[in-house]
Amino acid sequence: MTPTVHPPIMGHTLRRVAFFLLVLLTTLIAMGLMVSVFQTDGLSPMELILLLLYAILFSWICISFWTAFMGFFVILTGRDRWAISRHPGEPPESAAPPPRTAILMPIYNEDSERVFAGLRAIHQSLADTGQLADFDFFVLSDTRDPEVWVEEELRWQDMVRALDGQGRIFYRNRPENTSRKSGNLEDFCTRWGGHYRYMTVLDADSIMKGETLVEMVRIMERHPRVALLQTPPVPINRESLFARILQFAGSLYGRMFTAGLNYWQLGESNYWGHNAIIRIQPFLEHCGLPKLPGREPFGGDILSHDFVEAALLRRAGWEVWLAYDLEGSYEEIPPTLIDYAKRDRRWCQGNLQHLRLALAHGFNALSRLHFSMGVMSYLASPLWLLFLMATGVNAYFQAQHEPVYFFGENWAPVWPVSFAVEMTTVLLVTLTMLFLPKGLALALLLKDSRLRRAYGGMLKATLSVVLETLFSVLTAPVLMLFQTKFVLAILMRRAVGWPPQQRGDHMTSFREAAQTHGVQTLIGVVAGVLSYQYVPAFFWWFIPVLLGLVLAIPVSMLSSSIALGRQARALGLFLTPEETELPVVLRYLEENLQETEPVLPVLHEKPASRFVQALTDPYVNALHRSLLPPREPPGKRRRHYLEGLVHQLEEEGPDSLSAAQKRDLISDPDMLLRLHTLFWSRPPANAGMLP
Amino acid sequence: MDRGKVSVAEPYLPPSQSAPSSEFILARLGAYWQALGVTDPAQVAALSEQALRRAAESPELPGLNPVMRALVAAGELLDDWLARALELPRTSAELVAARAALLSGVVPDWPAALFAPPGEVNSVLDALRAARAEPTPPPSPGAMPAQRIDLFWLLGPLRRLWHREPRA
Repeated sequence: MTPTVHPPIMGHTLRRVAFFLLVLLTTLIAMGLMVSVFQTDGLSPMELILLLLYAILFSWICISFWTAFMGFFVILTGRDRWAISRHPGEPPESAAPPPRTAILMPIYNEDSERVFAGLRAIHQSLADTGQLADFDFFVLSDTRDPEVWVEEELRWQDMVRALDGQGRIFYRNRPENTSRKSGNLEDFCTRWGGHYRYMTVLDADSIMKGETLVEMVRIMERHPRVALLQTPPVPINRESLFARILQFAGSLYGRMFTAGLNYWQLGESNYWGHNAIIRIQPFLEHCGLPKLPGREPFGGDILSHDFVEAALLRRAGWEVWLAYDLEGSYEEIPPTLIDYAKRDRRWCQGNLQHLRLALAHGFNALSRLHFSMGVMSYLASPLWLLFLMATGVNAYFQAQHEPVYFFGENWAPVWPVSFAVEMTTVLLVTLTMLFLPKGLALALLLKDSRLRRAYGGMLKATLSVVLETLFSVLTAPVLMLFQTKFVLAILMRRAVGWPPQQRGDHMTSFREAAQTHGVQTLIGVVAGVLSYQYVPAFFWWFIPVLLGLVLAIPVSMLSSSIALGRQARALGLFLTPEETELPVVLRYLEENLQETEPVLPVLHEKPASRFVQALTDPYVNALHRSLLPPREPPGKRRRHYLEGLVHQLEEEGPDSLSAAQKRDLISDPDMLLRLHTLFWSRPPANAGMLP
Repeated sequence: MDRGKVSVAEPYLPPSQSAPSSEFILARLGAYWQALGVTDPAQVAALSEQALRRAAESPELPGLNPVMRALVAAGELLDDWLARALELPRTSAELVAARAALLSGVVPDWPAALFAPPGEVNSVLDALRAARAEPTPPPSPGAMPAQRIDLFWLLGPLRRLWHREPRA
């Protein structure tokens, strides 16, 4: 089907014109103030650089500010006539059978217990809606670690048994994880996509309410031109102070930002990679991702595939919407500042790749803007750093400049013109743009007493906003240095890996904090001493940045504390509605993690190694063999390689093998059976695993 | 590292015996049957006997010592029964899945079914069929062609001008 795009609607255009005019005008006003400061004796090259950097950074802040501002008004008035969830659309054919939807959870070396507990919670929540039969579940594993691989298989089988999910809950592990997550989804689409009209893509830590999943399908059915519907995932479930602060910010400010985004993006929205429903047919037709020419990091596989897929769907004329007002979509966030930075490192390379796509032929203007916004989310950090450095250098030269009061034969002194008012105005405008959205989000609580109570009441919510603001001021310089480092590494073509995330709560040790933030602290101290020595006036302005860097180690450690996070919760600080009243789906998750006894006896105990268990335990061995995809018998060279590994295992034990070697051994069904009999014929001494 | 020295550490698996005693083979077979869920000593003895007979009749395979051959034969006995009872091809993924289902504990007293007359094990077989792992649905393939993305190139417009098709 080649869809026709909605005819341009005046209101749609007006919203965008208003938005971009506001961004442009605000930037121009701020630039005007800056130029008036610099222009007294002509623009020096340094001032020109400063002006250029300020223009880029300020317009970036403006986009964010006006988005929040529009979201504020949408929520305040409660009116949004074009919100996809409120638009009635076309009534679906009543005689048509209900569409089938696949719920996909792509995973990669994740904590299997949490993954399956989450999936079970979604399953249970869907069962509550009575529409479970319209959904199938797929665990799409790209896991490479053999220990995790075997654990996943057992957890999957356990879930199937416990929920009677035979023929509805599926699992597969890809032999090669070609093209990472996008390849993983492509593999699903090309092999089983024909069974389904929709797929709902989740992340390993996603949780979605059954009602929300059903509602997403209903919206898609009523809007046949919509290819992708994104829900805003609300951060939940973490207990560390760092994560609770982020959860609070994401929850309170997030809903305003997403409402604002939808206000001006409408059917040309973006895809965030998970917690979204996708119409499979257009995805198959238009979202096959090419390899970008050239070497990594800018060439090769497209890493942040979500933005590109949304752009490709838009290019083909399909609509992409953000259902900002659909609740019941959740995700978990990194528990510590260091984990947050690690996640940034993975995302950074993918987003910088978009630099090449922003100017590629054929994409819509808004898709180009999405690409540019993706790039700017990381490029902003080195630009801010450059701006701060240039300001410091400029201030230094200004300080060296002796004012001349008498020119030629003039007897009257010529007083230097003070631009303190203009400079202060520029600073105040910038700070307002940065911090006002927080105040607006808080003000929205005044409108809704239920929500106000859910955030702990007005007083505690206000205190939480103040503390969150202080925390974000402290951590912003640290993240700026992290992201600058990542951007530089990528520009120098040092590709980042694809490390799995450490998702569970855990404390940051002094050693880890010192190793990670040591250089940042040193930079803070050196910059402080230099600025105090040479540009004392600048030093005082610079203090918030310096403080963040100098305190990076204690802030990182303290904020990772679960005890502090719990204490803050007990005091009613950083509360979110999900913490105040646990939604049923999250209660299911909690119960699954804490109380549910596995059906499979083999899961009652956690052996030292699931890999060894796959070799020794007859059930685990048979299950694993039954799940291996059919493959050609190995060639001579491969056989010799595997023989070598068997000898190594016999002589030096499993610890001598790398994860990849272990994986090779248990990927071959014949080898697996042979090792099973080998271990039973000669049980290893003192291993305690076989009678 | 001193390359002249040879490691004297114990190997992880004890060395293979070239001619293991029949007691040793029976002991290993017995342990294996127990791990598969056969607890009745009489059944263990009978099954071990069958496995030994089968191993003796099977051709010698390189790399398999007598104990391994007996253990392979034990597994084959189980697979034979499953293939016959569930009417599955002898070498198939379904058969391996059936073996996994059998060993998962879904049929607690499966050894009794193994020795029972054919008509009396229907409920066991139904339970096995239902518990057989079905990891993926049948294929329903579709093509997902890689899309063309023309990246921006500074000299791109000039190049397009140069390569413009002549007018008809």
